[in-house]
Amino acid sequence: MVDRMIFEDRDRFLEELRRLVRDGVPGERIRVITPFGVPEVGEILPRKRSKVRFFALVGAASGTVTGFAFTILTSLSWPLIVGGKPIVSIPPFIIIAFALTILFGALSSFAGFLLFSRLPSLRGILSEEEYGNAFVILVEDGERR
Amino acid sequence: MENAEKYAKVDRDILAAMKKPGRVYLAGLAFTASLVAIGGILWAYQVRNGLGVAGYTHPVKWAIYITNFVFWVGIAHSGTLISAVLYLFRARYRTSFNRAAEAMTVFALMVAGLFPLIHLGRSWVFYFLIPYPTQRQIWVNFRSPLIWDVFAVGTYFTVSLVFFYVGMIPDFAAAKRYAEGIRKKVFTILSLGWKGTDKEWRHYGMLYLFLAAFATPLVASVHSVVSWDFAMSIVPGWHTTIFAPYFVAGAIFSGTAMVITLVVPLRKAMNLHEYITDDHFESIAKILLFTSLIVSYSYIIEFGMASYGGNVFEMGSFRYRALGEFRYLTWTMIFCNSLVPLTLFAKRLRRNTTCLLVVSILVNVGMWLERFVIIVTSLAHDYDPYVWGTYRPTFVEVGISLGSFGLFFTLYLLFVKNLPVLSISEIKEHI
Repeated sequence: MVDRMIFEDRDRFLEELRRLVRDGVPGERIRVITPFGVPEVGEILPRKRSKVRFFALVGAASGTVTGFAFTILTSLSWPLIVGGKPIVSIPPFIIIAFALTILFGALSSFAGFLLFSRLPSLRGILSEEEYGNAFVILVEDGERR
Repeated sequence: MENAEKYAKVDRDILAAMKKPGRVYLAGLAFTASLVAIGGILWAYQVRNGLGVAGYTHPVKWAIYITNFVFWVGIAHSGTLISAVLYLFRARYRTSFNRAAEAMTVFALMVAGLFPLIHLGRSWVFYFLIPYPTQRQIWVNFRSPLIWDVFAVGTYFTVSLVFFYVGMIPDFAAAKRYAEGIRKKVFTILSLGWKGTDKEWRHYGMLYLFLAAFATPLVASVHSVVSWDFAMSIVPGWHTTIFAPYFVAGAIFSGTAMVITLVVPLRKAMNLHEYITDDHFESIAKILLFTSLIVSYSYIIEFGMASYGGNVFEMGSFRYRALGEFRYLTWTMIFCNSLVPLTLFAKRLRRNTTCLLVVSILVNVGMWLERFVIIVTSLAHDYDPYVWGTYRPTFVEVGISLGSFGLFFTLYLLFVKNLPVLSISEIKEHI
């Protein structure tokens, strides 16, 4: 059983959300749907910080490592001196590592977002449920779960 | 007005652009598409007959194609500046321009990416530049600036595309409500089933912040790498340490001009005066003016270093630039890039979109000439007077260049009619 409240007004929606939390409805049972990001929701409903940031860190770090490993190992596999530069020329390799840091970091953050938000969601794509520009609070019935 | 009505109005106003196109739009599209066709035919002609049909003569072996490459990569930069850097600085006027600017970035990079292939002559061997294991057991030379370009521009394109798409996910969900037929299906799939739950918004906010943070260093790094294509050589006029910041400032300068060139007609045609105000244009005009001053400063430094550095070749190269056979182009460039933007010191002109449009078009002309002058005059007139030469573009090069403008504007016109031109969710947030 889901209790559904629909608001057209942002402030009334926030008031009701505050009231629910004050009345002791546990945050895990409240779900909110909004037409745009409402920062106050994060303050009223305490949630853990998004873990997408770990994906960004791990992605970026793996990009740096890949950039250096790739350039150094391929240069060593065919050690040909070009333009009088050392086989392992760190300064130019920094540029490759820098580019891959950003590339891997951005792609892995995107992957993290898709994973944590459960997107793409086939149910969402097929669902006809549509709230338009309304602000919706869904309170799930804890006992039945 | 009630909030709900205001939100619905935002949807209506922004999505109104997707209505059936009018005659002017179709005529514009036909014109730009015919330029693409001309460019395509001329490229095919060049592939058939070889690079000899281009005006390359010894010693000028880099010319208009490379000019176009640098020009289009530069255009892309301002898109990232507006969408990523201004996001981190929480500049409100960003929402008026960011979608248009991000689209511009993606399309400009698509066009830019073609030019190294066209310039290769044998375009089909472009994959030599990509590092992958082959039976030849040889890898690309990572010490070469041309390989840095592959990585820098490839990364830039991928990250910009992801940024562009991510920004549109909530808007696709909003747009699908108003769309019909095949378009509704496409928007529904592209929205990935976005509902707007607090969980989605929380992860989305974090992702957007990180994408902005990742894209920000690219504003400085990509055009620096492009500038090193020149600065890493020993050609007088190219081999200077100020090239990276000089190119980055020029890139943002030309890109901002292109944003203005695109958004002024967009606002008028789509009647978006409520969302893109004169205040917004004034802010962006200040970026244009500021970057113009940096570019002018770089010109002074460049000439100053040549005349004060005591290097006869460098001095000769710059004397040739200012007084040689390409002097008209050099002085037009200085007029367009350094003098014309000074008019923007007047507040009244910063708020006058007609004036801004004229300035921005002149800046685009000036910035294209800047790249041409840097590339061609330096090569035509380097160390040994015995090998000095000159360069005249052929109809093939001119046609392909026009085709690139055609391609860019065709993609842009298609974007305007098929995707939300402003960020719907962000505009609602700021109401």
